[in-house]
Amino acid sequence: MTTDHLLELDGVSRIYGEEVKVHALDKVSFSIDAGEFISIVGPSGSGKSTMLGLLGLLDLPSLGELRVTGKAVTELTDAERSRLRGDVVGFVFQQFHLIPYLDARRNVETALLYRGLTAARRREMAMDALDRIGLAERAGHRPVQLSGGEQQRVAIARAIVTDPLLILADEPTGALDSTNAANVMEIFRGLHSHERAVAIVTHDPAVAASAGRRITMRDGQIVADDLIPEGVS
Amino acid sequence: MSSVRDLLGVAFAGLTAKLTRTLLIMLGPIIGVSAIVAAVGLTESAKGDLQQTLAELGTNLIKAEAASSFGTQTPSFPEDVVVRVEALNTVEKASALINISGVVTSPYAAASSYYTAFPIPVIAADSAFLEVMDVGLVSGRWINSFDDSTAGRAAVIGSGLADEFAYIAGAERTILVGGFKYGVVGVMERITLEPNLDNAVVISPQAADRDFDTGIKATTLYVRSDPDHTLLTEEALPVAINLGSSEEVNTSVPTDALESAAAADTTLQAIVALMGGLALVVGGVGIANVMSISVIQRSAEIGIRRALGHGRGLIAWQFMLESIVVGLMGGIAGAGVGALVVAFVSRTKGWVVVLQPSLLVLGVVAAMAVSVVAGLYPSTKAARLEPLETLRLG
Repeated sequence: MTTDHLLELDGVSRIYGEEVKVHALDKVSFSIDAGEFISIVGPSGSGKSTMLGLLGLLDLPSLGELRVTGKAVTELTDAERSRLRGDVVGFVFQQFHLIPYLDARRNVETALLYRGLTAARRREMAMDALDRIGLAERAGHRPVQLSGGEQQRVAIARAIVTDPLLILADEPTGALDSTNAANVMEIFRGLHSHERAVAIVTHDPAVAASAGRRITMRDGQIVADDLIPEGVS
Repeated sequence: MSSVRDLLGVAFAGLTAKLTRTLLIMLGPIIGVSAIVAAVGLTESAKGDLQQTLAELGTNLIKAEAASSFGTQTPSFPEDVVVRVEALNTVEKASALINISGVVTSPYAAASSYYTAFPIPVIAADSAFLEVMDVGLVSGRWINSFDDSTAGRAAVIGSGLADEFAYIAGAERTILVGGFKYGVVGVMERITLEPNLDNAVVISPQAADRDFDTGIKATTLYVRSDPDHTLLTEEALPVAINLGSSEEVNTSVPTDALESAAAADTTLQAIVALMGGLALVVGGVGIANVMSISVIQRSAEIGIRRALGHGRGLIAWQFMLESIVVGLMGGIAGAGVGALVVAFVSRTKGWVVVLQPSLLVLGVVAAMAVSVVAGLYPSTKAARLEPLETLRLG
């Protein structure tokens, strides 16, 4: 089956456990298209994390089909899936997850490893990404020398440096104060384009409201998929 | 190729991030390889020194002594023993000695009672003695036919005796040998293979027969053989001397004792090298242990690298390379430390440094092999980590 969707879930279930089966996701179907800005909301245990793992190709569905740019993910080897993940998805995490012993530039460069790039080209691309989020002058600083907001901006630079089609963010403002949270959301709004989609998992209604489409989850199922007129989309 | 370069960069960055820890886990390979290199290098150097000494002395000197045969009080060789022995085509040169017993030698008459209690060996040796023993004279000359034809009493003394008698080279000096005044005409160099001769007085067989009625039947024979046929010559000597039965001649090769010493060192070498190997294995266990802890500590890093598109294989290689780099650097440092120990000890002992480059390479390769085995478990463990479990999403 061919598709024009950037990413598509078709009757996807994710079941954990052998004897006692837990349906973390239950026959979920939806798609994400280029240019969309999506928020995924729901209470704890609703299946948001499982959904994030699947959308980020970090996990595989137990049932159903997950396609990314038309490729069925379950048919790929681990190496192929890793490569696809590196090419298509950019991650931003609540806890930033920067590598502590690398400075900001080298953290960004981590996303460019094993792509046949020269060190000079990698450095140039990383500096360009840091420049785009206004942190070029902090390129030589390690995470411990940066504020929470700055660390999250470095993480965003790392996510965009490969120019991915989908940026997946997990509570990106969860560990930030309101000022830094507003700055980060401003960056996210600037990231989404006609070619690129942004999906944010959040508990924050304000963050969810800034998206153009809101997917609400409960008990492993999508209970609402709403377009928000005042959102960025 | 660029992936290999990237992997090496990642591995080095991981190792330099915790430099103290990296240096500590390198200690295992360093101690193991340095112990192996030092053990083998030192015994080789000691042996090399021994071999150099052996080469200088020659391993083709055979000593034959007339053994006590039934009913014979003073065993001796036939008069023409040198001619008989030199008839063997593997014999290059032979020298016959007569051990003169019951003769007191002293530097002056008043010291006779002392030297009666502590006698100095007196031997009569022919003119081939110095050549066969491959020694020279520290000073003076050897006893010559002129001394015998003029009934002169000339003696050559060993270096040890010259020191004991405070002999000054070139001085006109007489010593008392069995009450006869003998003029010291020369001093021999030290005889490494027969150190007891360093304290001996050597006179000519003619003088011995004349003054001490010894006859001219030798009791000891030194033989230089063809270096390639020493053993064969040693076996043939009793038959050539033909005393009636081969049991009446005892033969030996003086350098055998030195070679036995070298062989004993080889056993020690094996023991120390084995201990070095054990240290290397223990070092490998240390690498595996610390790397496994490192994998747990860096699980979030592994998760993020996986999220950024690094496959399980690349993660495994990252940790395997870190382990290999530890082994390589530790092996190189260990080989260096071992070589320094060998050089230092050899210099202190005055040995020639014998250190095969292949030994150093072998040490580094062994350290790397241990680190590869040590890295298998942590690298597999790292590759199996699920990013979803380490990144704590949602």
